[in-house]
Amino acid sequence: MGVWIILDTKFVALLLLIAAFALFYGYMTLAKGGMKIKARAFPAVAAISEAIGRAAEMGKPVYYSTGMGQGTLNNQLNGPQTLAGISILGYTTRLCAKSGVKITYFTPIADSLPLVEETMRTSYMAEGKPEEFNPAVAINFQNEQSPFLTASLGWIQREKPAASILLGGFYYESVVLGEAGNTIGAMQIGGTANTHQLPFLVATCDYTLIMEELYAASAEISGNPDVLGSLRGEDILKFFVLILLGLGFILALVNNNSLISLLKV
Amino acid sequence: MSQIYKREMVFIVTGVVALVMMLDYFFGKNIPGISGAGNISSTLQTWALIIQLMAIGLGAINLIQVHYRQISRKTNMAVYSAWFMGFFALLLLLGFYKLATGVELYPYTWIFKNVYVSLGTTLYAITGFYIFSAAYRAFRARNIDAAILLIGGIFVLLANAPIGEVIWGGFPLIGNWFNNVGQVPGMRTFTVVGALGLLAFGFRALIGKERGFYSEVQ
Amino acid sequence: MSGQNIWDKLQNVDRRVFYWILFVALTVPFLSPIGLPITITPSSQAFYDGIKTIEKGEVVVLSINSGVSAWGDCLPAMVASVHKVYDQGGKLIVWSIGYTDVDITWAKIKEKLPDVFSKWKEGEDYVYFGYSPPQETNVALLRDNIRAIYPKDVRGVATDQIPLMKDINGANKIKFVLSSDTGDAQMYYVRQWKNGPVNYEKTEKPPTVAELGIAMNKSGDMAYFLSGDLFGLVAGSRGAAELEALTGYKGDATITMDSISVSHILLVLAIILTNISMFATRGNKK
Repeated sequence: MGVWIILDTKFVALLLLIAAFALFYGYMTLAKGGMKIKARAFPAVAAISEAIGRAAEMGKPVYYSTGMGQGTLNNQLNGPQTLAGISILGYTTRLCAKSGVKITYFTPIADSLPLVEETMRTSYMAEGKPEEFNPAVAINFQNEQSPFLTASLGWIQREKPAASILLGGFYYESVVLGEAGNTIGAMQIGGTANTHQLPFLVATCDYTLIMEELYAASAEISGNPDVLGSLRGEDILKFFVLILLGLGFILALVNNNSLISLLKV
Repeated sequence: MSQIYKREMVFIVTGVVALVMMLDYFFGKNIPGISGAGNISSTLQTWALIIQLMAIGLGAINLIQVHYRQISRKTNMAVYSAWFMGFFALLLLLGFYKLATGVELYPYTWIFKNVYVSLGTTLYAITGFYIFSAAYRAFRARNIDAAILLIGGIFVLLANAPIGEVIWGGFPLIGNWFNNVGQVPGMRTFTVVGALGLLAFGFRALIGKERGFYSEVQ
Repeated sequence: MSGQNIWDKLQNVDRRVFYWILFVALTVPFLSPIGLPITITPSSQAFYDGIKTIEKGEVVVLSINSGVSAWGDCLPAMVASVHKVYDQGGKLIVWSIGYTDVDITWAKIKEKLPDVFSKWKEGEDYVYFGYSPPQETNVALLRDNIRAIYPKDVRGVATDQIPLMKDINGANKIKFVLSSDTGDAQMYYVRQWKNGPVNYEKTEKPPTVAELGIAMNKSGDMAYFLSGDLFGLVAGSRGAAELEALTGYKGDATITMDSISVSHILLVLAIILTNISMFATRGNKK
């Protein structure tokens, strides 16, 4: 078994994964120990408080959604996006509770409901307003995209929210919700790691979190130095990836596929 | 369960499941008892499916709660909530009838085929109209970047439509280049950086540093 | 408003005006088809070349991971593909990863292909399993043990009793997967089947995957097609129309091409108009 492990290319992938984790952990430890980590501020995150302020002035609610997300949290690509969206929902709900703004959360992901209700309830409790939390603010549509979209469009047309926050795993509903928000003049903040929906969110939203920014935003919001350390580790990892890409490009020019074979999973 | 152990239990369960799934993925069938049908990893995967299916029931309860509140408080949306509850009950009964007897009644099929299918297709078609208005607003040459986007967009649009090659043979040539070569490095970059961000997020969640989504205040 | 000239008004046209113009313009080609020729893109050609390699008796999976709302983009491609599989003498296993309305989609495919399904026998030439939950773990389980997810087909016949499934219980007996997606299910098959531990017995190579998806997926999936993870990519109505032209079975997608031409031309004209008005008003604002 020992020889087999070394020769199996998945072992290379495991080594790289462990190295990446070690890098993240290393920088998190350094940051916790006092190393200063400067992280670029995300305009979209700063805009959340601006959007809540706008809603408070106008006396209008806030619309929040984490998108279709393939209808489940148990999804490799969309589950983490939904969780990142829920993280930011906690922060947004807290701001709303502080400002007295009503926030309504729409989702077609049934298995996210307990997390969402708990997150929102905790945010209201943190602001000392547990009685203002209403479980009806989290509305689920049974893993169905069309009912979710119809209900969202109807709600947006009736309630005319001052801000629409779309952060999570979106599919074709991104352009529909984005345009619906534009129609009523809402301030829109969007973000997804689904590449095929990025253009629509960028075109329809005032502020966008693109790809990894969605995951990093919750780190920025928390402000914990060790969490910010993982962002530094991620950036260092990007340099290694760039070096690998350059190496692969040069090797490919001389028809050498050894790097491809080594990294193939 | 004591509140003190609530967070620790999440970490322990997440950690154990992650370890098993990683062992399954990286070492395949070479570790007895982990991989393959009937072993730990497939059992955990089956449990995940079951939990997700249970959540559908939870979602139904949430829907009933939300609409019942509308009806009981006699809000201006109460009529629509009553309409929803009526159809919910009807389809639930028809579904249970089919489960019990194996016979699918005509109203059940009719509602699904003629209402649900039609509405779903309509919703998807709305996307086209919304893309039209979004493109009308977004494709303005306010600066050099926007101008390049505009020109590229026009080539791609006309490459996708048969009329483009009737107007000029260069449209499909250049437009398909944008589709097949031009935008690919950008998409690959997005995919790679998205994966790295996901890796960091997953690591933070695994070691319990990413707490925003299970009721820790940020 | 006072002081607004035609160029200012053009920039702020109510979007409902566009929606009405588009609606009317889109109906014209349906009433009076134009029938413009289309060129075939490499990704559609590669898909067609791939399904042409099906030999008599080889089994292919059609994974319907798109709902009824995506029929416009995905259904014509599925219909053309199933017809070609039949022409090649192949066999078909059909299931869905996560779409509850798959029964209607499959019924529609059968309705569109009466000549195929009058000759094909269910259980021997094709089998339809129906819905399973929308998870990658599901696809991984199907790779190793189909019976774990589908102990019986939609007719209630035990999988063990189905002649087509007699020797088939996983990816090792399946040539390739045709995944019709509105989401990312094709990547589940790429990760779990193509890059998984099981090879197709006949070729000793991993079972390959092709995508029959919506147009929105094309930009993201193109990278996977170019890297060889997908052997073919048929995206949107345009891809479906190309596939119909290649297979020779003109269907809904070919009819839709005229409407696509009209809508795209309208959009280009609208964009040109708004840019002209923007430049015209820019001079005034200065």
